[in-house]
Amino acid sequence: MGNTVEVSNVSKSFNGQFVVRDISFDIAKGEVFGLIGPNGAGKTTIIRMLLDILRPDSGGLSILGSGLTDDIKDRIGYLPEERGLYQRLTVMDTLAYLGALKNKQSKRRTLELLETMGMLSHKDKKISELSKGMAQKIQLIAAISHDPEFIILDEPFSGLDPVNMKLVNDLILELGKRGKTILISTHMMDQVERMCDRIFMIHKGNGVLYGSVGEIKSRFGKNTILLEFDGELKDIKGVKKINHSGNYAELLLESGADTQDVLKTIASKVRVSKFELSAPSLNEIFIQVVEEA
Amino acid sequence: MTKWTTIAKHEYTYNVRRKEFIFLTLGMPLFIMVAMGLPVLLAGSSISHAEYRIGYVDKTGLFEPGNFTKYTDEELAKKNLLDNKITHFFVIPANYTATGKITIFAGKKDLMGRTVESQIRNFLIDNLLKRENKDVVERVKTPINSEYVTLNEKGETSDGGLSDFIVSVAFAVFFMLSIFTSSNFLLQGVVEEKENRVMEILLSSVSYRELLIGKIFGLGAVGLTQILAWLVIGLGILTSNPVVFAMLLDRMHVSIPLLLFAFSYFMLGYIVFASIMAGLGAVATTSREGQQMAGIFSLIGVIPMMFLQFILTNPGAPLTKILSYFPLTSPITMIMRLSTAEVQYYEVVLSTMILAVSAIVIIELSVKVFRASLLMYGKKPTLKEVIRYLSES
Ligand SMILES: Nc1ncnc2c1ncn2[C@@H]1O[C@H](COP(=O)(O)OP(=O)(O)OP(=O)(O)O)[C@@H](O)[C@H]1O
Ligand SMILES: [Mg+2]
Repeated sequence: MGNTVEVSNVSKSFNGQFVVRDISFDIAKGEVFGLIGPNGAGKTTIIRMLLDILRPDSGGLSILGSGLTDDIKDRIGYLPEERGLYQRLTVMDTLAYLGALKNKQSKRRTLELLETMGMLSHKDKKISELSKGMAQKIQLIAAISHDPEFIILDEPFSGLDPVNMKLVNDLILELGKRGKTILISTHMMDQVERMCDRIFMIHKGNGVLYGSVGEIKSRFGKNTILLEFDGELKDIKGVKKINHSGNYAELLLESGADTQDVLKTIASKVRVSKFELSAPSLNEIFIQVVEEA
Repeated sequence: MTKWTTIAKHEYTYNVRRKEFIFLTLGMPLFIMVAMGLPVLLAGSSISHAEYRIGYVDKTGLFEPGNFTKYTDEELAKKNLLDNKITHFFVIPANYTATGKITIFAGKKDLMGRTVESQIRNFLIDNLLKRENKDVVERVKTPINSEYVTLNEKGETSDGGLSDFIVSVAFAVFFMLSIFTSSNFLLQGVVEEKENRVMEILLSSVSYRELLIGKIFGLGAVGLTQILAWLVIGLGILTSNPVVFAMLLDRMHVSIPLLLFAFSYFMLGYIVFASIMAGLGAVATTSREGQQMAGIFSLIGVIPMMFLQFILTNPGAPLTKILSYFPLTSPITMIMRLSTAEVQYYEVVLSTMILAVSAIVIIELSVKVFRASLLMYGKKPTLKEVIRYLSES
């Protein structure tokens, strides 16, 4: 089978302003695909166009084959960015209703998912009695309880604590292993780096990066030093930027700088316990792309 | 089950369980009952006919007691009344046959005085006509048992003329009430949906059209439920009084075709209004704002009521014809015309068709507005934008 999603030359403007401009990408079947970009870049707009919630001004989109019929919608799961549920319904009623709309209700699977997400004991509570993060987990369950082939998750991690973030993370990986095609839009670059096979980055409506994570990183070259150290690290010749995090740091080299010289300089200033030459993190690439644009 | 029926079912059960809905549905009749109906009801049921003990003082010597107690002494009657031995007594003066005047004394203020009067009336007639045959006496008591027959060129059609007219007015009132109450539910339902942001999840399963149609039918049914509840409660109260019930049954001979027309016009007309309200809900940011716009359409719907007299007396006038084809006014106008005069077959077919087609067109237009304005959370489209959505293919 071909691609699950095909987007070709899609443009969309609101009030005469381009929000998405001439964008093309594909998502292969079984792929975990990251759609990234700064706030207001147009990610949610692309997702809404994929689901025919918004219509593109020009260009073509296809999901799971041709037109987006009800049958095809039944094979898609969607966690929208705008979170909301019926406040007066119970968790089970909510999931039953949203499941019924997908024509593929499985109470057993719903209960299993509630169990994995640690929500089983809350199943008879009203939505209004849940915390924001809990409601979000319910929405995630609603998006996948009909066992869809293609899952779209718009910022699935926002507002979750680290434990729940891991739960969601594991769930996505599990779905990926089972051959589901997954589109994730998120600002968590380390998650993208770990989970996604390929990514598409959009900035101000324009596509700026597209490809597998490894390939994109190698495109940026091994120009980064990962350092674990003791002491104070600053003003190092040949380094254009230092991203500190405690005793760790990510050092961006100037082009043409000799890593051996840099290492010597560093060693003279601080105690080095680990030194690694590496490609920049996706986070760093993201920031670079946005700053350079 | 199709997806729109799933949505309709959800909308219905979700909204019928609202506290405000239950409160208003049960509270309104209760309020009206307390405000006006209760005293009558209490009076009517607390003193039943059997409990009347009626006495009389006869100064003409014409009247024989029957079920009533005869007193020769007015003072004794008064004393017995005060002692609660009788509930009423009346005095027939010597010149009664000439004047018809009698004086009725009651022990308590009696709101249902007319039942007493009718018992006294029958007593008087029985006595005055005691030499007549029983049937004649009965006829004097109820001289007319009417049945209306409207003649047309082809022969006779035996319809209840007055009843049909009453049906048409009841239809109009019922229709307007339904529209006013339902517009509330539809506006609120659609506006809230925009606020609670479940919309996008729903739209990943269904189309805008299915969603809106599901809402129109689900929320429309909520409005109808309320109206029907009021109707049932109202009829229940009315018919709990057997006298009124018998009277109603007796008076009602409505033609079945009229009822069928009334039903189909009601349903189609209702769908037209409900679709307009849903469309307005899609445009409005608050239901209060929607209400103002909805008011305009509801007012147009009331036009036939304002021209009631004119429609009834000029069933063939151009204005009447226009009103009976225009989808917002045709249900009421047509039913009024049908109840009072002959209406050409083709006219009914044509107006029904216009109504049905308008329902479809309005649903389609509402879907467009819905689609265009849905994701602009909190932002109200200008009139110009709405017109643009409508004209976009
Ligand atoms: N309905 C709308 N009408 C007008 N402008 C809109 C509408 N929806 C989105 N936009 C604009 O389109 C741009 C892209 O929005 P979008 O929601 O796609 O961004 P995003 O990449 O998802 O951002 P975020 O990371 O913050 O979620 C923004 O500038 C936004 O203001
Ligand atoms: Mg977004």
